[in-house]
Amino acid sequence: MAITESDVRHVAMLARLALTDEQVTTLTAELGSVLGHIDELQRLDLTGVQPTAHPLAMTNRMRADVIVPGLSREAALSNAPESDGMAFLIPTITGAGEES
Amino acid sequence: MAKDRLAEVLARYEAVIGLEIHTEITASATKMFCGCPVAFGGEPNTRVCPVCLGLPGALPVPNQAAIEWTVLAGLATDCDIALASQFHRKQYFYPDMPKDYQISQYDLPFCSGGSLEIEVGDEGGYRTTVGITRIHLEEDTGKMVHVGGSEGRIAGATHSLVDFNRAGTPLMELVTEPDIRTPEEARCFARKLRSIWLALGISDCNMEEGSMRVDANVSIRPRGATELGVKSEVKNMNSFKALHDAVAYEIVRQADVLDGGGRVVQETRHWDAGARRTSGLRSKEEAHDYRYFPEPDMVPFAFDPEWVDSLACRLPELPDARRDRYIAAFGLPKHDAALLSAEYAQACFFEEAVEIAGADRAKQIANWMLGELAARLNADGAEIADTRIRPPMIAEIVALVEDGAISGKQAKDVFAEMAETGDAPGAIVEAAGMKQVSDTAAIEAVAAAVLEANPNEVASYRAGKSGLIGFFVGAVMREMRGQGNPQVVNDVLRRMLEG
Amino acid sequence: MSGIDLSVFPARQIRDAIASGEFSAREAADAAYERIDALDSDVHAFLQLTPELAYAAADRIDALRAAGEDLPSLAGVPAGIKDNMNLVGTRTTCASRILGDYESVYDCTAVRRLLDAGALPIGKCNMDEFAFGSSTENSAYGPTRNPWDLDRVPGGSSGGSAAVVAAGMASISLGSDTGGSIRQPGALTGTVGLKPTYGRVSRYGIVAFGSSLDQIGPFGRTVEDVALTLEAIAGEDAMDATSSPEPVERYSEALGIGAKGLRVGVVRDMLAAEGCGEEIRAVVDQAAETFAALGAEVGSVDLPNAKHGLAAYYIIGPAEASSNLARFDGIRYGHRAAEATDVLDLYMRSRAEGFGPESIRRIMLGTYALSAGYYDAYYGQAQKARTRIIEDFRAAFERFDILLTPTTPEVAFRFGEKVDDPYTMYLNDYYTIPVNLAGNCAVSVPSGLCTTTGMPMGLQIIGDYFAESTLLRAAAAFEEATGFDSVPPLVKALGVAKGGE
Ligand SMILES: [Mg+2]
Ligand SMILES: [Zn+2]
Repeated sequence: MAITESDVRHVAMLARLALTDEQVTTLTAELGSVLGHIDELQRLDLTGVQPTAHPLAMTNRMRADVIVPGLSREAALSNAPESDGMAFLIPTITGAGEES
Repeated sequence: MAKDRLAEVLARYEAVIGLEIHTEITASATKMFCGCPVAFGGEPNTRVCPVCLGLPGALPVPNQAAIEWTVLAGLATDCDIALASQFHRKQYFYPDMPKDYQISQYDLPFCSGGSLEIEVGDEGGYRTTVGITRIHLEEDTGKMVHVGGSEGRIAGATHSLVDFNRAGTPLMELVTEPDIRTPEEARCFARKLRSIWLALGISDCNMEEGSMRVDANVSIRPRGATELGVKSEVKNMNSFKALHDAVAYEIVRQADVLDGGGRVVQETRHWDAGARRTSGLRSKEEAHDYRYFPEPDMVPFAFDPEWVDSLACRLPELPDARRDRYIAAFGLPKHDAALLSAEYAQACFFEEAVEIAGADRAKQIANWMLGELAARLNADGAEIADTRIRPPMIAEIVALVEDGAISGKQAKDVFAEMAETGDAPGAIVEAAGMKQVSDTAAIEAVAAAVLEANPNEVASYRAGKSGLIGFFVGAVMREMRGQGNPQVVNDVLRRMLEG
Repeated sequence: MSGIDLSVFPARQIRDAIASGEFSAREAADAAYERIDALDSDVHAFLQLTPELAYAAADRIDALRAAGEDLPSLAGVPAGIKDNMNLVGTRTTCASRILGDYESVYDCTAVRRLLDAGALPIGKCNMDEFAFGSSTENSAYGPTRNPWDLDRVPGGSSGGSAAVVAAGMASISLGSDTGGSIRQPGALTGTVGLKPTYGRVSRYGIVAFGSSLDQIGPFGRTVEDVALTLEAIAGEDAMDATSSPEPVERYSEALGIGAKGLRVGVVRDMLAAEGCGEEIRAVVDQAAETFAALGAEVGSVDLPNAKHGLAAYYIIGPAEASSNLARFDGIRYGHRAAEATDVLDLYMRSRAEGFGPESIRRIMLGTYALSAGYYDAYYGQAQKARTRIIEDFRAAFERFDILLTPTTPEVAFRFGEKVDDPYTMYLNDYYTIPVNLAGNCAVSVPSGLCTTTGMPMGLQIIGDYFAESTLLRAAAAFEEATGFDSVPPLVKALGVAKGGE
């Protein structure tokens, strides 16, 4: 499964990264090399092996439905690149691409 | 759109409709993965914390109560409850989603494989069963206000403001099988589901405020065809009527496209309630690639069957059972019983009034609720909880009529005043001095005077002109300024004239 | 001049000296900042110094002492904190431009616990951007240099945290370890670095890299300091659903009882790894002899699937990272591109401008591995390989109490030596990665200096789940037997002041 420049551009779109043509070329080579090294996984016969998503055999970690104090609005907005003092301000969302 | 146009289209095409219903678990005190309170509205960004703002380093911890509500929802809709379940991350970028992924569920939802039977139409309607594919739990997004365009819409806006108060609210998503065939069935299903959620107490299910949001996947195919048509996903319906009308519009629109030799495009379409039509968003040529993977910040769930059983014990009486009980215990007509039981708050109101007035007066209580009270609520666009009328008042008004203290006509005036002032019926009757006189001795005194004043009419009556009874009743009632009990007045006069 | 040399005073002695009135917590802070003044312009281990916080903490300790109160376990101990952990009053940059101005608005649980134990927060330590790297060359703010040789890397990604301890600019520090990022720089700087069992230390407040792999852990110059620090920071946290309720042991009290009777397994098959130098290989053999001499039962064991760890890790780590780093979008915090025409443009440019090359590489790799059509081949397969690695460790721990490998295949390399092919850099974590995939605990302990380069070498001791007591007991026994002199020549050249021992 050799990775192509068009794959790289597609993935960059999914990851929301504006790459230059030069970066696309470099990344195609670099990712190709890394993927080449990790292709050994594809050659392993792991049929019937259960996947591990999590190293600890823990289950059912939940919290009680109890209110805990959160952040002040001032703190919430303190790192905002732009705000109107009440909400986060962003440019128009046409072109956000996807919607819930 | 003309109703017969839809009928004409549905004669040639079969509509295949599936619903996706998102319900905020407003019964939960806190958000899905943090301790911020769940509430509607409020000053922007005042109910947030590092977790629901997606600050670097913050971690989600699941709310047990929200999971229990979801399992209850599944139990109430005949779902299988998964003993092994987990959360996944669903990834896409959107400015109202703090982490740019939504914690949701993928292949192991809490509930799956359920069904719900609905009745479509009144007496003479039909029943059909809609499969429920799954019910899963996820987190809601924040809210955006689009500034600079018209009516807060994205189009034409210069910038947007993001408020994360709603972000992280527990959100239950129910997906049906594509078993629905008509706009009316879609409406019935959504209504029925809402009545169940209300009975469970999961959510306030307020479609206008968005705590219950219904999206419809609609496609059509020629009658007899087995292959599915291309579907569109219709969103932005904020009432049952809007759901019905949007689905109806979409069916006819798709038929027009096909009849014109065109091809239906898979897309998301927004219902515009003002223009009464759906319109396509930008066509999604770039297919979604959500890159689901197991949420590594949380461990899986392994539930005990006994835990599920203990939740089943918490299931309250559901609307269908309630309806059947009203028919059996109170002898209500099926239609009335169904109406009263559909809305949980209304059913509670009814039962409280019956509790006070006694089961033998349940019918009269139902009449008042479905008559005067419903009319008033409709006119005001209000919920039963919004009125000043409380169950003891209805019980009292029924008792006043039944005991003959006021006439049915008077009762309507009393009801109107009660609705305005919130005063108890007895007090209103007292204050207006409109109490009906049923006291035989008092009526006899008035009747005697009337007879004495009209000797000719008395003679005619006694000579066989029995129609004159109306004249005497009218005269007595006039004397009593309308407060005489008509039945008693009638009886007294007949006795005195014939005796 | 404070006259205190943090290179010779371990944390335990600093606390005891403050308790006995030998010197004050303020003087301990002075000692740290004096050393920083002398060396950090060369070493560049700190991204931010926090004297206000450190002296305020010191004053609290001195007031406690003046009031005759008991002092907590790390009272007055100067500590460095990796810059991916939140602490109110500091910037938390993750050594990235995208968080260049980011001010913490809440505290990381482990940092909070460290400070509650009385440690003095001296500053935030340099690192590879978002912990992606093994050399600290990927910091957006310039690399950290190895105090043993300024032309060489300190390892990474917690290179700053390792260097501050090695250079005596703090006694202890916190790092994070996703694939070896504590143990590898520990080995390369002659310090002790511990990766606790997954779930042993809360992850709340550390900027996530690989959520199923990350653990916060301590650096120290002695095993005892590391044990004390772990005691302070470990334990269940209601804010982290993956933190374990397993009780925290008194790790520092398990030390000093030797290695007699311990079952020690030398991981043989991994020693045959490509790139593993002769002398590094010898480290393990010598360690085996040392343990045998201490009365341990030494044997050999193979971890046949561990060699696939690197491949599995370079799927799982980037996949989780690509998701964890999505939130850096320029909406709520962090770098925002100027004059964005719409939100999509804002996302695309803010992220491309804010992330450095290695972050972009990992995000791209992880996004690719999770994308439609590739999930099963990459992520699914890596998760299954992970299962096999876990089974290997489980089998090994049925026969042995601890396992031995080198920490790294080679000593610290020179700057720029491995930047051309990312994969040669990734190979540095060959020995450490399988432990993160399995989730158990491991420590790197200095095992001497390489005869050709003079650079420190590390022995990795691996323990079973939540067996930190056994692990640290073995590490302490080895430390005592080898008698490693942990003071780099650079520090010695400063002229050592008053010593502790
Ligand atoms: Mg959803
Ligand atoms: Zn919150």
